[in-house]
Amino acid sequence: MILVFGEEFERDVTYELVALAKRLGDYKVVVSEDFDDIDGDVIRVERLNWKVVKELHDRFKPEGVLFANAPSGMDLAPKLAGITGIPMVTNVIKLENGDRFKATSLTYGGKVLVDLEVDKPSIFVVNRGYYDPNEGRGTPKVERLDLDFEDDVELIEVVKPEEDVDISKAEVVVSVGRGIGDESNIELAKELAELLNGVVAGSRPIIDQGWLPKSRQVGRSGKTVTGKVYIALGISGATEHVEGVKAKNVIAVNTDRDAPIFRIAKVGVVADVNELLPVLIEKLREIKS
Amino acid sequence: MDMLLNRLKELTNNKYFQCIQCGTCGGSCPYGAYTPYTPRRMILAIRLGMVEDILNSNAQWLCTACQTCTSRCPSRIQITDGIIPALREKSLLEGKVPEELSTALINIMRYGNPFKESPMKRDGWAKELDFEVPTMMKKKSAEVLLLPECFGAYHRRCKQATKALAKVMKILEVDFAILGREERCTGDHVRLCGEFALFEDLMEKNMKVFRKYEFKYIVTHDAHAFNALKNFYGLNVLHHSQFLHDNLEKLKGMFNELDYTVTYHDSCYLGRKNGIYEEPREVIRSIPGVRFVEFKRNRENALCCGAGGGGIWLDSVMREFVKVRPAEDRVREAKEVGADVIVTGCVLDIPMFEDALKVTGLDGEIVVKDIAELVLEALEGG
Amino acid sequence: MRIGAIVRIVPDLVMGIEIEESEIVPFKYVPNERDEHALEEAVVFKEKTGGNLEVVGIVDDELRDDEAMEEALALAYAKGADSLKKIVLNRRTFDRREVARAIADHFKDYDVVMVGIQSIDSFAGYLGGILSGVLGYSYVGGVVGVDYDGGLIVQKELGGGVVGKFRVKTPAILGVVSAERPITFVPLVKLRQAMKEMKVEEIEVEVPDMGGIEVVRFYEPEKPEITLLEGDVEELADKLVEVFKSLSLV
Repeated sequence: MILVFGEEFERDVTYELVALAKRLGDYKVVVSEDFDDIDGDVIRVERLNWKVVKELHDRFKPEGVLFANAPSGMDLAPKLAGITGIPMVTNVIKLENGDRFKATSLTYGGKVLVDLEVDKPSIFVVNRGYYDPNEGRGTPKVERLDLDFEDDVELIEVVKPEEDVDISKAEVVVSVGRGIGDESNIELAKELAELLNGVVAGSRPIIDQGWLPKSRQVGRSGKTVTGKVYIALGISGATEHVEGVKAKNVIAVNTDRDAPIFRIAKVGVVADVNELLPVLIEKLREIKS
Repeated sequence: MDMLLNRLKELTNNKYFQCIQCGTCGGSCPYGAYTPYTPRRMILAIRLGMVEDILNSNAQWLCTACQTCTSRCPSRIQITDGIIPALREKSLLEGKVPEELSTALINIMRYGNPFKESPMKRDGWAKELDFEVPTMMKKKSAEVLLLPECFGAYHRRCKQATKALAKVMKILEVDFAILGREERCTGDHVRLCGEFALFEDLMEKNMKVFRKYEFKYIVTHDAHAFNALKNFYGLNVLHHSQFLHDNLEKLKGMFNELDYTVTYHDSCYLGRKNGIYEEPREVIRSIPGVRFVEFKRNRENALCCGAGGGGIWLDSVMREFVKVRPAEDRVREAKEVGADVIVTGCVLDIPMFEDALKVTGLDGEIVVKDIAELVLEALEGG
Repeated sequence: MRIGAIVRIVPDLVMGIEIEESEIVPFKYVPNERDEHALEEAVVFKEKTGGNLEVVGIVDDELRDDEAMEEALALAYAKGADSLKKIVLNRRTFDRREVARAIADHFKDYDVVMVGIQSIDSFAGYLGGILSGVLGYSYVGGVVGVDYDGGLIVQKELGGGVVGKFRVKTPAILGVVSAERPITFVPLVKLRQAMKEMKVEEIEVEVPDMGGIEVVRFYEPEKPEITLLEGDVEELADKLVEVFKSLSLV
């Protein structure tokens, strides 16, 4: 049996875990919030902390435990591995069930894949974007469990960034990275976004620089974009960034033809963003007028 | 404090206390109107033991090391190479370093370049050419050692200038080679930022490599590398404008006509610091069809591009004080004199001015070319 | 307040790695970036609390004298660490459970231990979280700030730019993703001085064999089907416009 722990802070990734669990065998999904369209057996608990995880693990004795590579999964999974001593694999992008688990992990900053064979029982922290969340949707059979353990970690306040457009839901996102070079070039990206009826976003360095607000950050510590098109301008494509890119079509512009961003791109353009943008904008303006 | 005073004595030949408080420096400074501490006030504050006040104000970072104050100081005090780096050193030692600069310095220390690029890729630009540029490791000796320095080796735009210079050398049938992967940052910005130990370390490592090979002289198109190699490494080095000038008779016979109105930007470390004014002008003027116009502020009065002395990594500090970057003023000056090409002599100028053209909206009207790029264009027929 | 910080070294991806089926061959090592953030945050926390900071390098036997480990410890010393330790693992392992068990005994005397949330070469666990499980300490990952008001208040990224403030019982291990201030530059003169002056207590530990995870092979990710456009800017812009049209963006 596979035990899935839903992601508390980034709910949508829970469906991806369910999609994977379905392929592995019988499964139960543990969540601490209301989900009305998860397919299969759902265990609703009051809160999800390591004590609850440990209790359910002991109760069900699963052959495999799935967590998301996301804020709550990344805390709970290693804790469980530390307590139980069972094997744990991170950054999983592929998982198959057999006598042992066969897992593939994406490591070394996205430069290396490693195939692993893992004894049961074991714990897997699964990357986003590799399993179709729609396969995880369906009709839930919900069972409430009154497990309410005090934790040694207590959430006391949630600080939200100031209100801004929600890039995660925008259909077209024009996103800029370090390759944009200069803050003044952000204006060019904004103009392109406007011409394509999209919104502008950025990678972490751009937000760190204060060139765009935090709410516009794409990636692990920012938002996950899920729209139709993601246009990555001068973004190298670090793992942390790529994790937040789940748009259906990725178009990447980068000077380095070996940039990892091209690995997820449908169309790659080897060019200097700063040279390309003014020309591109000019052409789009002509078409519009 | 003692360390600072000793450093000041050493770097200014004990002259820093001879300041007559005339204010020429502040009046000359591109940031003079914005900085809380002009050099004059800095010296005064040091005398009064108020060094921490200067450092807390961040004024020590608001300097592009343009040498204008130093060149005009009636007491001949080394402000740019002395007072400023000494104060910056104290900031570094206290762990107060602006973030972008901090990253650049960490990268230079680890990888020998500020871009966090692999030293193995330092010859990447040469591989983009359709002929082979030999390395010293292979060739052991050559007449000319071509040194692209970090920006010329890695920076997307600056590489174009490096490639142009290599092509010109090939056309001139010069016996030249590069260090390739063995080259590392020469460290002039590092020194001007007060990281003296790192500068010395870079110098030591570079000298070891230089000593392995035989060459008559070095040619570089990076004015800061030129300055460091000439005045600190004590090597025989030519700025590429001098090199082109030396070959001018041969070049003249090959030039095609170009239809440009060109102005020439005197880079601080060619002009004010090293007195090279006429060679680049003569090269430009000798290209048929080129109309040469001077910036209003030219030669020793030229306005800095803003990149020097680590300025290229101090943009966010500068922006706390100044709304308009010096480079933006500079490209507007080019427009005023009717130029459609700004020719530069230092690779750092190129990205600075190209950015400024975009910010000022002059990017359709004016282009920036390194002098080697202009020469190559004339050779290849415009 | 007894503060600990863990520093590790990892293959330097800037210098490149060789990917062989049975192993990854680095050209050079470098301090793990997330650990550098953990160290910086530990220094900030020491400044906030006036606590005592001990920095612990963890390194495989074959790399015990690697200059990257020396650099990592010297940087820690120069930034204000009160004492330094180097735990040498008697054999190399990718399995963080094994590392955590090997080192656990040496982490019993801290109130707070900061460690990078992960290292770039990891695929079998996160050291900080596992160590907390072994020791029975609190654990929070994704940490971007730590305060103290008599108790520990930790800021953790929750995604989407949202930050959660957590009250955390000590002893605690914190998986740091980003220090609240940029990594401070240590000038070479201070680094060299630190290398000369620092005293590092070396501790050798045995790595238990827990098994359970077997590497079948390492390999490079396949580059997916991609239309790669190259050429001059005019042409590229035209082609992109066509792509935009096909996606009905214009």
